Parts: sequence; structure tokens; C-alpha cells
Amino acid sequence: MNLLSLPILLPLFSGAVLLLLPKRALRTLMALIAAILTLLVDLSILRTVLRGEVMVLQMSNWPAPWGISLVADGLTGIMLALSGLIALLTVMFASSSLAHEPRRGQSKTLNQLRERFGFQALLQFLIMGVNMSFLTGDLFNLFVAFEVMLISSYGLLLIGNELPQLREGFKYVVVNLLASAVFVVAAGMMYGLVGTLNMADISVKIAEYSSSHGADARLSLLAMMLALVFATKAAVFPLGFWLPSAYPVPVAAASAFFAALLTKVGVYSLIRTFTLLFPQEQLIHTILLVLAAFSMLVGAFGMISQSRWRHTLAFANISSIGYLLMGVFTTGSAGMTGALYYLIHTVLVIFCLFLIAALGEKIAGLKYTVEGHLNSYPWLGIAYFASALALAGIPPSSGFIAKYSLISASLRAGGTVNNWVAAAAVITGLLLLYATVEIWRGFFWGESHAVHKVVLPRGMTTTTVFSLALVISLAVFSGPIYKLAQRTAEQLMTNEAYTKAVLVEVKTPRIGDPALPTDELEEDTH
Amino acid sequence: MEILLPFLAASLVGAGVFMVLSRALIRVIIGLSLISYGINIAILLAGAGTGLAAPPLLDVEGPYVDPLPQALILTAIVIGFGTTALLLVLSLRAYQATGTDHVQELTKKPDPVEVLGSYADPERPSISPEYGPAEKRVKDNKQS
Repeated sequence: MNLLSLPILLPLFSGAVLLLLPKRALRTLMALIAAILTLLVDLSILRTVLRGEVMVLQMSNWPAPWGISLVADGLTGIMLALSGLIALLTVMFASSSLAHEPRRGQSKTLNQLRERFGFQALLQFLIMGVNMSFLTGDLFNLFVAFEVMLISSYGLLLIGNELPQLREGFKYVVVNLLASAVFVVAAGMMYGLVGTLNMADISVKIAEYSSSHGADARLSLLAMMLALVFATKAAVFPLGFWLPSAYPVPVAAASAFFAALLTKVGVYSLIRTFTLLFPQEQLIHTILLVLAAFSMLVGAFGMISQSRWRHTLAFANISSIGYLLMGVFTTGSAGMTGALYYLIHTVLVIFCLFLIAALGEKIAGLKYTVEGHLNSYPWLGIAYFASALALAGIPPSSGFIAKYSLISASLRAGGTVNNWVAAAAVITGLLLLYATVEIWRGFFWGESHAVHKVVLPRGMTTTTVFSLALVISLAVFSGPIYKLAQRTAEQLMTNEAYTKAVLVEVKTPRIGDPALPTDELEEDTH
Repeated sequence: MEILLPFLAASLVGAGVFMVLSRALIRVIIGLSLISYGINIAILLAGAGTGLAAPPLLDVEGPYVDPLPQALILTAIVIGFGTTALLLVLSLRAYQATGTDHVQELTKKPDPVEVLGSYADPERPSISPEYGPAEKRVKDNKQS
């Protein structure tokens, strides 16, 4: 079961080596090899957990509530596989833009000067943080994983040193620091209240306590604080104000990775918190469901208001977070199934759209208001058309399957709130269609005025086509993938398999027991 | 004395929030540091109720303070140190680039890239470097 530590250790090791390698070609090679190896490890973990097994690794063999445990169930397996795929594609995209842009340029893709500031190494550390937050079974370790991820993302956001990056970077760092402060105090209070930080142990103890004592305001407060933190990271409507201006400023490859995965880490943590730790806090579930509806609508309206590629797509990201939370907080496993299918769909589609946006920016600058590019770049047009259909949820695409299952689950769950949220989801679908058609009309349609054709680097177009193929294959293989989502959702509905696998043969520790090792091994994460 | 600590934590966080809400970048950074100090004290207090009878792994008679919250604080301090250093450098760079550390003036400054018109302007697509020089475009238009 040592396999579970590899998605963390491989990026850590390769990131450290990448800082030392002197030649650019060597760095590119090393980053590619690391990404491929991590993907292979992720896929083998996914294969094991798909059998319904929960993999557990107790660090240094300390038994569960005292040591840090790494846990992989179905959800973790899916998230790890997605992160491995996106990481490999990001490294390919970033590396292929280097040959094309040798010097300092005004374009927003990675050039050789920017790469020298440790882009590849920071990307590896970011992947390490993302994988660690998917794998960890310990609340405080989750905080550490978030910090590893955030600090690398600060670096990636600032590579390029332009004024918008400095300005948005400052806001991004301040917002995330405040959220982290709330997170760390919530972890401290959780320890003071429950006496443990192991998530499986917390889950068992809270379930025991609330079955004997009923609702407790202190537990609700803790759930609120964690919801606040993770909703800020996931950019849920009132807390996501930082996202639309922050995600368009870094280099193209970095912002594609951010948009595809970083907000989903917040969603993953929300799923974990409210299925494993606080399944009984119905009021907070309802609040987040209402906020999900607002996120969808605000994201779609924001898309319509923008005229720059990545600003528009950043709002699309917010609206997709709304759809995800709608499924997560609809009661029953049908909603969760839809959410998991939508999760796989939206990671791939948003990533593909950000790559298309990077190519579009290369052709005609940050805005998509110069028309008539369909003749010169037919393949880009086709790629955009297919992924825009998937984003809006038009029938042959995977987006339709995802949204259909989300909305039907919400309607079947019944109740006023659910019906209104379903209505918001339908309206948002129409608004998204309008917004994507607006890009089509602005950039691809119409008569061409361009003097010469921009040569798009082959590596970048290949990567885009490859991620487009992933989006399309999601629709083609929707049967097996939907079944996978269904099984994972059912696994999430009961915590027993998870907690049993983590807490093997350990008597519930009593506080005040003499000579019990309480060391949490936080030292090795400093 | 323990009764004073919650008030200390609360006043540190309160002062920090006040500073974060001000308009100068450097005051925001100081405010964030104050908040993190207050929160560290709050975590210390959260561990106060969970004393142990004896230290772990040692054969000594207790009562003994639970060491775990202190380990949490240590981690939080290290992370806070790193991010504060980053924020200081960031605000210095922003000051050098714009000559102001006032949040609102900073957002009012136009992006230099946009001023130079280095990306396509729908009104004047000719100044986009990727569209070729303006003269050539005009010539092309006349021919067609």
C-alpha cells in the first residue's frame, strides 16, 4: 500500500531535482517523465479502488488516530486520475510553447525567460499539494496540503511580473491567507472539541455524539467555518469574487491548470466534509444549495458581460462550480452521481476551453472581438464548437448527460428549494449557450480582416486536440463512466467502509489515558 | 491568567481585521500577521482542555499539557512566515511598478500592456503586432 505515497513523493522529488537542472531541455524532459510516472501511479490507484476497496497507508506505521493516514476511496481515485491527466497535458502544453517563444514577449504563453524562474518546478509542487489534499485522511494535514498547493500557485500566478499579475496576485494571496486562518482555527477547535484530527475518527465520534445528544451548536459552528473555507477556495458565489480577475493573469498553461483543478480541490473538500464529517447538518446543506444556484447564474451572467477570452472562461468556471454543488447537496445518491459525472466532465471541458483560449489569444490578442478566424483556423473552430456544446450542455455532448442527471435528481428530490435550483440550472444552461455563441460570433464567424496567418506551434495544437479527444470520449463512453460515478456516489453515501478501513482494530482512545502516543507527526510536513 | 488569553486572542484578531480593511498594502500585511498571532493563541487555548495524565512515550508522572496544539501552531507559524515574506516582496514590487501602495489607486492604474495596445483592439486592429504593420493593412484593403 506504499503506492499511496507516490502521487505525493514523485512530484516532490522531481520538483526538487527540477530546481537543480541547468538545461532547459533537461528540465522539460524531467517534467514530462515525472508527469507520466505520476499519471501511471494515479491510474493504478484508480484501478484498485474501482473494485470497491478503500486503500489506506498509515504513515510510519502509527495506528490510525495518532499517525497521519493516507486514504484512497473511489472519489480520491477519480480525482487523482484527473489531476494526473491534467498535469501531463499542462506540462506538454507549457513545454511546446517554449520553442515558439524564445524571448520576452507580450503574449501570455510561457516563454523561455519565464520558464527560467522555476515554472516546471513550481508546477510539480502544485501537483504535489493537489494530490496530497486528495489523499490525506487528516484534517490538519489537509491544511498543510492546501498551503503547499497555494504557495506554489502564488509563484505560478506571479511568473511574468506584469502589473495585473502583481495586483491580482496580492488580492489572491490575501484572500487565501484569511481563508487559511479560518481553516487553522477550525482545525484547532475541532481538536479541542472532538480530541482527534483523523477524519475517519472525527466522523465516528461526531456520529456517536449526535445520535446520543442530538444537534450541537458547536458542531454546527465548526461545519460553518469549514464550509466558509472550502467555499472560498471553490469560489462559490459570494466568496468567489477573487477568481474572475485572478485566473486570467498567469501564463496560459498555469491558468488552464488552475481553472481545471484548483477550484475542484475546494469542491472535493466540501464533499468530504459534508459526507464524512457533518452529514447531519441539513441547514448548511440547504444554504450551500441556494448558493450553488446563485453561483450558476452569476457565472453565466458574468460570462455574457466579458469580452476577453480567459475572463469569460473564468466565469464559466464559477458557473460549473454551481452545478457541482447542486448535485453534491441534493439529498440522495442520484444527485451525487450527477455531480461526480459533471466533475469529470467539467475538469476536462474547462481545461480544453482554456487551451483553445490560449491559442485564440496567440492569434488575435486577449479579446475575442476580432471576427472571421474560421477560414484560417478551421480546426480551432471545430475544437471550440465541440467543447462549447459540452459546456452549454447540448444533446450529443457529455454536458447534456451530466446536466440531465443533475436536474432530474434535483426534481426527483422534490421540495421548494430543489425545484428552484433546478429551474436556475435550466436557465443557466440557456445563458451559457448564449455566452458561448457570443464567442463564436465574435471570433470565428464573419469576414476575415487578418493580414497574415499566425503559425500555431504544433505541440500546442496537438495538446489541444488531445484534450478535445478526452472531452469527446467522455460522451462516447458515457455508459461505463456514469456507472463508475454511480458506484462512487453510493460508496460516499455510507461512511462505514471508509472509517472501518482507516480505524483498523483500534479501540476508541480515551482522553487522559496514560502513555498514549499522541504525536501527529506534523514535523515532517514543515 | 488563562482567562486573559481569550481576550488577547480576540483583541489581536480584531486589530488585525481593522488593519486588513485599510487601504494601504503594508497595513494589510501587518493586519494579516496580527490575525495569525491571535489565531495561534486561540489554538493554544483549544488544546488547554485536553490535558494528558503523562507525557507520551515517557515514564514521567503527569499532569502534562497536550503537545499536539503546539505542533499545529508551529506549523502555522512557519507557513505564515513564508507567506508574509512573499506578501512583503509583492507589495514592494507593486510599489516600484506603480509608485503607490494605495489599494484604490493601484486598481485605477491602467495595465501597461493595454495602453501600448499590444493586443488586438477592435477599434484599431492595425496596431496589434500580430496583425502586421498598419501600412500593410491599409494597402491590402485598397487592393481588395
